[in-house]
Amino acid sequence: MADDLALLIPEIIVLLTIVFALVAEMLRLPRIALAVSVTGLLLATGMTLPLLGADTSVFGGTYRIDTLSVWAKLILLPATALSILLARAELGGSDREGTVYVLICLVTLGSLVLASAGDTMLLVLGVLLSGLGSFALVAYPRDDAATEAAMKFFVFGSVTGAIMIFGLSYWFGGSGSTLLSELSLLDTKPVIAAVGLIAVIVGLGYKAALVPFHFWAPDAYEGAPVSIAAYMSVVPKIGAIFAFAQVVRDLPMDTHWPLVIAVVSVLTMTYGYLAALAQNNVVRLLAYSSIAQAGYFLLGIVAVGANPLAFVSIIVFAAAYAAMNLGAFAVLMRVGRTLDAFSGIGRRKVVMGIAMVVFLLSLAGIPPLAGFVGKFLLFGAAMDAGFTWLTVIAILNSVLSLAVYLRIVVPMYQQPDDATAPAQTAAPKPEPLITLVWIVAFVFTLGIGLAAQPILGQIS
Amino acid sequence: MLPIVSITLFLPLLGALLIMALRKTSTQAIHAIGIITSGLTLLGSLWMWSRGVNETGFAQLEELDWMPSIGAAYRVGVDGISLPLVLLTTLLFFLTLIYSAKVKERPQAFVVLMLLLETAAIGTFTALDAILFYVFFEVSLVSMYFMIAGWGHEDRQRAALMFFIYTLLGSLPLLLAILGLYLGSEPHTFDMRVWINNPPLDGLAAMLALIAMLFTFAVKTPVFPFHTWLPAAHVQAPAAGSVILAGVMLKFGTYGLVRFALQMTPDAFRDAGIVILIFGVVAALYGAFAALAQSDIKRLIAYTSVNHMGYVIVGVAIAALALDPAIRATALDGSVLQMVSHGLVTGALFFLVGMLQDRAHTREMDQFGGLLKITPILGWSFVLAAFASLGLPGLAHFPAEFQIFLVTLQVEPAAVIVILGIVITAGLYLRAIGKVFLGEPNEKWLAMSDLNTREVLTLAPLLILIIVVGIAPALVLDMIHKTTAALQF
Repeated sequence: MADDLALLIPEIIVLLTIVFALVAEMLRLPRIALAVSVTGLLLATGMTLPLLGADTSVFGGTYRIDTLSVWAKLILLPATALSILLARAELGGSDREGTVYVLICLVTLGSLVLASAGDTMLLVLGVLLSGLGSFALVAYPRDDAATEAAMKFFVFGSVTGAIMIFGLSYWFGGSGSTLLSELSLLDTKPVIAAVGLIAVIVGLGYKAALVPFHFWAPDAYEGAPVSIAAYMSVVPKIGAIFAFAQVVRDLPMDTHWPLVIAVVSVLTMTYGYLAALAQNNVVRLLAYSSIAQAGYFLLGIVAVGANPLAFVSIIVFAAAYAAMNLGAFAVLMRVGRTLDAFSGIGRRKVVMGIAMVVFLLSLAGIPPLAGFVGKFLLFGAAMDAGFTWLTVIAILNSVLSLAVYLRIVVPMYQQPDDATAPAQTAAPKPEPLITLVWIVAFVFTLGIGLAAQPILGQIS
Repeated sequence: MLPIVSITLFLPLLGALLIMALRKTSTQAIHAIGIITSGLTLLGSLWMWSRGVNETGFAQLEELDWMPSIGAAYRVGVDGISLPLVLLTTLLFFLTLIYSAKVKERPQAFVVLMLLLETAAIGTFTALDAILFYVFFEVSLVSMYFMIAGWGHEDRQRAALMFFIYTLLGSLPLLLAILGLYLGSEPHTFDMRVWINNPPLDGLAAMLALIAMLFTFAVKTPVFPFHTWLPAAHVQAPAAGSVILAGVMLKFGTYGLVRFALQMTPDAFRDAGIVILIFGVVAALYGAFAALAQSDIKRLIAYTSVNHMGYVIVGVAIAALALDPAIRATALDGSVLQMVSHGLVTGALFFLVGMLQDRAHTREMDQFGGLLKITPILGWSFVLAAFASLGLPGLAHFPAEFQIFLVTLQVEPAAVIVILGIVITAGLYLRAIGKVFLGEPNEKWLAMSDLNTREVLTLAPLLILIIVVGIAPALVLDMIHKTTAALQF
């Protein structure tokens, strides 16, 4: 038991962080809450490093400490810290500011549970833990848009969560165990395996915003504060994707689950980008883009079990995605929510403009940026698993994605029309926290693109 | 040994970073840094030339670990096919930066993009690792997109978008082929030399990979019917962009055709040889006929590029079909020389059109007349470059096209119909010269000034080289032949 706890030090630190931050908030000391949560998250990241290379589990196999789980911490904890800085820049000074940090940490803890799940009950726990906090975060502004968004989000979450629990009960009935590692017992009961699989796709698909369980995402992102949208498009999504990988690695192959997930992947990528093409609100555009990006993650999921490249590709792409998506949202916070706001920004703010172009081109998968390395590995994993057709579709979608992201890039370098944008000429006041976030994201987007070897070497 | 390939490769990038680091620099200083950097790069490539190439395989190898877990590394080197193209690249960028010293609109960004593009272009020709190649290949797209979108003419946004999306769509199948070759190689590696020495795929897989690569390089070259982005991009691009696009970036397509398609899937290429040959013939003839129909002189030159690149494809296809190694070598010699000649000649022509447009702000041939009397240097330079472009003996295109036609006659006599292209281009160039430079001088242009020193400096090296390559092609051919004679496929 004591050994088990030693392996859980990062999670325990996050939990203590939540407690202390909550105490600070109750004492009306939001700055302390901010300091505690950021420090705690970074400390937890540091304490994860000794666990690199671990491949074990605790609590009787229900909670896994493996490559996925460790890398989930290394990616999600710093991403959470950056999101908290964004939230501070946006919501700092508002009433109940400290609760935001607490809730964000709580959702992260739920996402970590998802990424480490070795048991169906922990899947449920992770979905609930990350879900409940998210509802509150979306509703934070307490205006009409936020309330409506949170309501949609909540109703969707309740229904999909119920379906998931219902379906998982079939797995329990079929295998006599809630452990994911016992799922191989289902190889003689394909129907039961399939029912449970569909339930998992519904439950985790909702979390990861996969088509057709994505309807809440654009509304929730638009209604929520931008920093919360940035956070939700990264941390819970990656947690759910990693949970997917944890589930399917034990699933018997004869349920044809890779094919099912491949179909979901195609729907998600294609629908996400097609819908993004029609958006004029940049938050909604990035919301649909993050839906589509989830489809790319699934290329790695279909290859789980077929080759070792699958985990590597999912992890590298997760790190890349976290960096570039947070970066893009950070710049968006600085510039504004509409495409018009981006008009000519690349000429006025040269460095930030370059950074935004890098984030967007990285999202589109242009080398030598992080998104390219991630997608390249995902394509390789899927092709090696015999899913060349899926790779072809993903590649075609990459072209579509370029059209999407260029919708932001093109106005950035347009000649400013003197008549239409007089209000834009005044320089916005400096926001050091946001600047810090996009600079960090920029460094990682370039760094993962040019030097992915440290990650690759650690995993394989 | 000094790693001269890497130094040449990254010098322009260093220059770009230097310019970015300098805030509040005068326009002149920025252009000076650009010209000096690209000049040093040119010297670097000349140094590479002096070191020469090997009888077999690649020379001047430089390697560094990059991502050993997946078998990707930083690997660069040259052979007789890539070295001439590197020389062409560094020369054209140097001249382009001299020519562009007139750019006053955001010069900092312009020179930075130009230098970034130069690194990408040299990288594409020297990379010996497929990922590295792909990275440079794509970076060149991004830089060119911003070049057209930022400094182009009237309809630049649309043309830039079309160029970017079209060529990205074109280059993604190459990624698929690279993944296929990677997964087929045992142990998995991205080392292009391994793929060339032991083609990793065979049968259907090789054919599919070949089709994917052909699609990529057909868009890039461009081959009819994938050429529609080219006239739009050329017409809208600034003159400097056009020179680089035609002189350097079109060669990515034909270089890839040889380096990837021909060398890495040789058997499939041979099986598909006739089809590729037909595409080449059609491209050459289509380009010539389409050029004939243009009244915009820049579009005219853009279409003659389709024509000249068609000859390159014919040459490569003949090399695949030929059974006799001597014929094969000659066919490739002609193709590679044609790439170099086209870079020199079309580079000169696009510069000249740019200079004409700077003065007249129009490119419509009917608007001009008798310019030979008003601006004799510009006029005679154009006449020389145009004669070279139509394949006049003694000028750069002749030895290349002659070799291609010779082997075509030996291997697939029917395909020699492509020679019609020469007749058509001769006709259209004579017509263009007649309209623009001969006849009665148009009143409107009497005050037009002739070339200034900067412009003469830009053009003179190209015109001299057009004549030198035409009279003594052996200067370049020896280097090319050393590699092509030893190729096994």
